[in-house]
Amino acid sequence: MKELLYEITHSTAYAYAGSVSVSHHLLRLAPRNFARQRCLQHELGIDPQPAATNWHIDYFGNIAHFITVECAHRQLTVTSRSQVAISPAFIPDVAETLAWQRVRKMCDGDHSGRALEAHEFTYASSLVPRSVDYADYARASFPADRPLLDAVVDLTRRISRDFKFDPKATSVATPLEEVFKQRRGVCQDFAHVQIACLRSLNLPARYVSGYLETDPPPGQPKLLGADASHAWTAFYCPGIGWIDVDPTNNCLPSMRHITVAWGRDFSDVSPVRGVLVGGGDHELNVAVDVIAKGPLPDGG
Amino acid sequence: MRATPETGSTVAPANLSQGYRPAPGVYDEMQSAPGAPRPHWRGFISALDRLGRHELASRWENGRRIIREHGVTYNVYGDPQGMDRPWELDMVPLLVPFDEWQRIEAGLVQRARLFNLILADLYGGAQHLLRDGFLPPELVYANPGFLRPCHGIRAPKDIYVHLHAADLARSPDGQWWVLADRTQAPSGTGYALENRVVLSRILPDEFRDCQVQRLAGFFRTQRETLQDLAPANRDHPTVVLLTPGPHNETYFEHAYLARYLGFPLVEGGDLTVRDRRVFIKTLEGLQPVDVILRRVDDTFCDPLELRGDSFLGVPGLVEATRAGNVTVANALGAGLVESPAFLAFLPFLCRHLLGEELLLPSVATWWCGQGKEQQYVLDHFGELVIKPAFGSTQGERWFGAQLGAADRGKLLKAIRTRPHEFIGQERAALARAPVWQEERLQARPVVLRAYVAAGGGSFVVMPGGLTRVSSMSEDPIVSMQSGGGSKDTWVLASGPVVQAPMPATLAEPRHVERAYSGVPSRVAENLFWLGRYTERLEQTLRILRCVLGRLSDETGGEGSTQLAALAGVMAGLGMLPERFRKPAAVAELPQRVLRLVYKPDVTGSVRELLGRIRLLVSLVRDRFSGDTWRILNRLELDSRTRAGRPPLANAVALIHTLVLDLAAFNGMEMENMTRGHGWLFLDLGRRLERAINLAKLLRAGIAIDTRPDAVLEPLLEIADSVMTYRRRYFAEPALPAVLELLVSDATNPRSLAFQFEALRAHAADLPADAAAAPGEEQVGLPSVVAVLPGVDLAERAAQFERGDHQPLEDFLAGVEHELPVFAEQVAHRYFSHSVQRVS
Repeated sequence: MKELLYEITHSTAYAYAGSVSVSHHLLRLAPRNFARQRCLQHELGIDPQPAATNWHIDYFGNIAHFITVECAHRQLTVTSRSQVAISPAFIPDVAETLAWQRVRKMCDGDHSGRALEAHEFTYASSLVPRSVDYADYARASFPADRPLLDAVVDLTRRISRDFKFDPKATSVATPLEEVFKQRRGVCQDFAHVQIACLRSLNLPARYVSGYLETDPPPGQPKLLGADASHAWTAFYCPGIGWIDVDPTNNCLPSMRHITVAWGRDFSDVSPVRGVLVGGGDHELNVAVDVIAKGPLPDGG
Repeated sequence: MRATPETGSTVAPANLSQGYRPAPGVYDEMQSAPGAPRPHWRGFISALDRLGRHELASRWENGRRIIREHGVTYNVYGDPQGMDRPWELDMVPLLVPFDEWQRIEAGLVQRARLFNLILADLYGGAQHLLRDGFLPPELVYANPGFLRPCHGIRAPKDIYVHLHAADLARSPDGQWWVLADRTQAPSGTGYALENRVVLSRILPDEFRDCQVQRLAGFFRTQRETLQDLAPANRDHPTVVLLTPGPHNETYFEHAYLARYLGFPLVEGGDLTVRDRRVFIKTLEGLQPVDVILRRVDDTFCDPLELRGDSFLGVPGLVEATRAGNVTVANALGAGLVESPAFLAFLPFLCRHLLGEELLLPSVATWWCGQGKEQQYVLDHFGELVIKPAFGSTQGERWFGAQLGAADRGKLLKAIRTRPHEFIGQERAALARAPVWQEERLQARPVVLRAYVAAGGGSFVVMPGGLTRVSSMSEDPIVSMQSGGGSKDTWVLASGPVVQAPMPATLAEPRHVERAYSGVPSRVAENLFWLGRYTERLEQTLRILRCVLGRLSDETGGEGSTQLAALAGVMAGLGMLPERFRKPAAVAELPQRVLRLVYKPDVTGSVRELLGRIRLLVSLVRDRFSGDTWRILNRLELDSRTRAGRPPLANAVALIHTLVLDLAAFNGMEMENMTRGHGWLFLDLGRRLERAINLAKLLRAGIAIDTRPDAVLEPLLEIADSVMTYRRRYFAEPALPAVLELLVSDATNPRSLAFQFEALRAHAADLPADAAAAPGEEQVGLPSVVAVLPGVDLAERAAQFERGDHQPLEDFLAGVEHELPVFAEQVAHRYFSHSVQRVS
């Protein structure tokens, strides 16, 4: 299958109650490049004009922009525009993936190369604790010797069935235990729950932030998480690599999920994070448009 | 006639070691067996014996006085006494012989080199230690001390740990062991220095005779090394000391070191990042910072990239280090290797990275992330100390043997489910050293904190350290937080030590002046308020003294009339309820006055004002000379209630002392403080406060119902102008003359006109271009300042005496109203209230 081209506009607008004299922001808005995704173009529009914009590649390989706005301002708008080409994800046959306990054992014993990198994602991180509660919940999907992919697909199905998508139930500050108890939340919570489940079984899992194409193809339902940026999970399968799963929509992402960044949890990849001097309360407006431009011509 | 022999010279030396018992089964620093002192102690012990009990007690008292006067404190969290507990220093130093110290020194230098190499690999390099299996990945990846945003930032000259501290303990066989390392922001060098200052003053001869190695060279190296790490401004780098602020347990030390090293003391809010460079916000504008010596923990240093809930850090600091524009010492993230779990791997890492055997062993440590080690810990649970594997070693700890069944079960389960988060450690049997307590030498457990600083292309060890003493003879935990004491540490030289006086500061003033001259806005604000509150305290004291003087006056008559008038004035000033305007309430005055002196919860009381002053002083400690600081400390010490005197007499004595302390402070500051912007704001605050208070006082004075002339003498007394008045007028006080003296006489330092002249001069000197609030209009002087010379006070006084109170009242009300508006403008213009918010 050919690559599909997307144009994405992601704008984040803050309106502050008081004047902000200086603000610093760290942005993770530029879609990263990897095997099946090419970011063809990316530009940031920031109003008011920052006094300085710099970027670096962060610990996880994401692109991070550091901006400072020094003039007094009462609103800040960050608009990220990108063109991204996506190739289909490689999704192996279930039988090709190893039994999950073998994976766990391999990850534990192998400290070289990609396995070492994966190893890092088995520990608790600031927003995702590990505990027996998550392990117990996950266990039903992980009977002995079940192939890893099969088990994770089942876990994904159960999370999307057991948890209700409810933007009012949680905020960025809601602890995961609370989400897990309420069984409600948004895509970020769904991803965190799944990561907690996998890590509590000693399996590597990471958090992926990005976008979802939402124009439903004829005859298919509109997917959730359309109006803002989206988030999902990836798990590590030795010999194959990282495989994405979307517990919010119970699917294996391929051509309609555009990756921006990944890390251990949301706090590693928060799209816009800032520290302000002044400002008081604020209102936040986020708008995301993902427009499919169709297949790229060969060699494009 | 025969002369009686002088008794003092013939008294046999005391034997202070008599009754000293080395504890069985542990090493004793002083004695190899009961009654057998170790060779390097002999000289010191006989010197103590020669001094005798009585003299030692008096020297010790002297030492305690110096500590109080220097304001040496250690804040203890959750202490009911509040902050600022006096520092506990023992009279007897720990003596370490030269050859033994050489071995410790070599071991410490090796350790610092090793930690730097580990950090260079984990943060600045390719993490070969993980890839090649020299360290289990959990130690890094599961460790909250591993700061991913700092990965890839190479520390200038590959120095990650500029100052390393190791807690050393001595086992029964005399071997020194490392109990724990501090690699992010080690505390204690300042206390070690202060201990030395005190001890060398109270035992000067003993200090000289013992040939003790000096500490100043170590600090000089530290200072020069830091300056040498400036990425820019190589000729005149600005190095600052970043403190979490006065609530931190070791804030005293931050201020002390800042002064000693000649580095400005700053809080996170004083710094700002612009275009990936760090600046100090000063009244004069933004001034670049090249090196930050930090006493803020790793994760609190940058709310943008590290802990979002930190208010102690500087947003953008990580980015500034990433850009290589500032050097942070110790490097951000260096706390990673102080995790106790690393102790288990050091011998192995030392062989691998340095090709050497580890010279100073660490206390035996088993990391439960490994199967065999976990089993060992579970098998020996009762004998070991269990600690979290990661994070600071100040965290929790459990003694297996002392746990109840439930806690034990919980801990064992936690170890089994999250083994990599725990270590087991051998319980160190601490060596004992003599302390001077209850007028004799007693054996107490000690731990020596030693310091290593980067310098001279390698590392140098402080020839000394902070020896900490357990408060009880059998306490396994030695910690300042749990209430132990400390000792000076005397490392003995191999030969005579060059006599050099301990410098009061290492800074070469001119150099520092050139590099950095700004006054941080926060400091200016604190000085401004210090000026206001010391003045407010002075007026309060004078009013109360005036009342107290008349309360004890037995002559009756004029005294009681004046008392009623004073009560009315105080009611007018809001110091007493309205009913005190009536003479009937005077009976309650004594009890009311005592409230106004002693009750900290009464607004405007002496105690409350002292509390505010104390807070402000603690915030600007590094701006004052040692003497001024001592005076300010005295203010606090003198205010403590003394028992055994009638309350009123006690209050009078207290007030007299405090008035003198304040006068000493004002004099010291007038004579010794450079007339920079810092002093300007201090004096501006004082002048404003004095003018406002005087206007209020006069207004309350003319408003009382009783005979106005009864109040004139007390008013003169409160305004400290009685003598001038008598000398000038030779008459009973009369309103026109009193107004002349207290309002329009510009030669009287207590008059309104005098304050206005000062305000006019200060306003002209206010910084013109403050970066704190750019583009705003200049602060204008209040109009009363300009019109005062034209106000015909004699006429208004005459009108007042004829019964037309309004003109005088209007004038005073105008002053009372306009000056606070001016104060507001100053605050708005110069004191940046930087509230940070993270989204």
